[in-house]
Amino acid sequence: MVPILAWRNLWRNPTRTLVLIGAIALGVWAALFMTGFATGMIKSYINNAIDQVTSHVQIHHPKYALDQDVRFTLDQPEKYLARIQENEAVKAAAVRTLANGMISSAKGARGIKVKGIDPADEAALTGLDQRIVEGTFLEGKRKNEILISRSMAEKLRAKIRTKLVLNLQDLQGEITPAAFRVVGIFHTGNKPFDEAHVFVSRKDLNLLLTHTGEVTAGVDEIGHEIAILLQDASQADQVKADLQGAGGKVETYREISPDLELYESQMSFVSIIYLSIIMLALTFGIVNTMLMAVLERIRELGMLMGIGMNKAKVFFMIMLEAIFLGLVAAPAGLLLGISTIYFLGKYGLDLSMYSDSLEMYGMSSIVYFDVPMKVYWQIPVFVGGTAILAALYPAYKAISLRPVEAIRKL
Amino acid sequence: MDVIKTKGVTKIYNPDKIPVYALNGVDLLIEEGEFTAIVGPSGSGKTTLLNIIGGLDRPSGGAVMVHGQNIAELSDNQLIDFRKDYIGFVFQAYNLIPVLTAQENVEFVMLLQKRSKTERQQRVAELMDAVGLSDKMDRRPSELSGGQQQRVAVARALAPKPTFILADEPTANLDSKSTENLLDIMTRLNKEENMTFVFSTHDQRVIDRARRVVTLVDGEISKDERRD
Repeated sequence: MVPILAWRNLWRNPTRTLVLIGAIALGVWAALFMTGFATGMIKSYINNAIDQVTSHVQIHHPKYALDQDVRFTLDQPEKYLARIQENEAVKAAAVRTLANGMISSAKGARGIKVKGIDPADEAALTGLDQRIVEGTFLEGKRKNEILISRSMAEKLRAKIRTKLVLNLQDLQGEITPAAFRVVGIFHTGNKPFDEAHVFVSRKDLNLLLTHTGEVTAGVDEIGHEIAILLQDASQADQVKADLQGAGGKVETYREISPDLELYESQMSFVSIIYLSIIMLALTFGIVNTMLMAVLERIRELGMLMGIGMNKAKVFFMIMLEAIFLGLVAAPAGLLLGISTIYFLGKYGLDLSMYSDSLEMYGMSSIVYFDVPMKVYWQIPVFVGGTAILAALYPAYKAISLRPVEAIRKL
Repeated sequence: MDVIKTKGVTKIYNPDKIPVYALNGVDLLIEEGEFTAIVGPSGSGKTTLLNIIGGLDRPSGGAVMVHGQNIAELSDNQLIDFRKDYIGFVFQAYNLIPVLTAQENVEFVMLLQKRSKTERQQRVAELMDAVGLSDKMDRRPSELSGGQQQRVAVARALAPKPTFILADEPTANLDSKSTENLLDIMTRLNKEENMTFVFSTHDQRVIDRARRVVTLVDGEISKDERRD
């Protein structure tokens, strides 16, 4: 009877109850929306960084990370690449030759990192061929082809077929200039990356790095980095362990770029932070409503205790009213939130009007909402907890009544 | 058999400031099957006495024996249980639970007593029939007249088979017809079931039906008239 009484008490004032249910449901929806948005942004940042910069796992010469000296090349990278590509967890892998240098046109010069790539491997690894917005991908038709980004092209006032000069330090430590012709302009949506990188054929770059000295290894075998994309990011540590001893220092994307690990860990807290703030605000609303509901039926509560309903049952009844409130509101909010997340997860939220700012931070201009599964059980726990906490004071107030005084109130 | 026995009961409000003596040494003995009206002018202590007898309030002094138990010695929770099992209340403003139907209101205390479903259903049907509301079982209080609500309140008070019924001005909000109807029911229950009724009232129609009239003046019994 107490649950029936509590349920019916909840609907004594349907407007007030529906307003409160609406507020809680809206709070749940807002928490899901904010979590979905923040997680989507973070994932976009992490995915962009993995796609374009770090991949899931990289292998370098153990000393390369210290000062990125061009002389710290991997030992026989092609041999290891073949072995790596046999691993079932590996989706794609590529060897890159890397060099820091200066690119200049008639209109200006900029410091850049030159990535010497094998076009087919790189296309499979980063999908760079899909990001060409003008011209073509590296086709190897001519010698010394170069890909530059749209922002770089603007800064150097370069176009397709413009000749640019690269100045690099070769393996002998000599500064080596070479002319490259722009064949394609790319746009990844990650502005810091675009402004700092150019792509040339690995073969061309290797020739450039070796042309002043006598190279002991084959020119084709020079490489500074093996980048590996996995079927699933969660396999990174396992693959790292599998590849230990593969001719260099093996690192996961979290080690290469600790900010990614930080962002990944933040994803776990985002929902809790949003839920805490929203539920804290809702607590006052629930306390207010429950208190009103108790105070307006003081005489009735006194009568209930008068005819034999003990304090524990009265307390339980008030708590149940709040719990029922949460039980109705939370699913309503979840339903609303899940629909929103499903839609925005599938079609994304287009923030193109802020694309410049977002690209500055390496984020995509379309945010695909994503809510970790655990959030869907965190929400009922938070709403239930909030309802119970918020009902404690009104319930205490109810059992503090003295029947004789309560009945007398008219 | 003694149902209620008070000895030297006092009730003092504001004992530390300006003391007000609501009851001043009340000795009263009520036996099983009595139909007693407690009368007196406003402020004479009628409701206070009823509240103390019913365990809703505690006396400042003296003893209140109900069914052989000094209820002044019980804790709050023990008092609630005591009221549930031994005392039926009929309030001036009916005080039914608005979200429950007439049937559920009558059944409520029996549920608290953990009576079986069959027993509850049988008792509810019997009592609703006794108060002439068998056809209004599923109505909520807001769908009943004042007189009908008070009849449901009487049925509710009787449901747990209490030792006695306390009724605080039960006819104060009723018209003449409803008052006569209610008094007929209570008189019949008193005679047929030997149920003890104690009223506080100003209503001459109730006083006329009472078989004992206790008059309170300034917190003291000034007259105790039996009409047997």
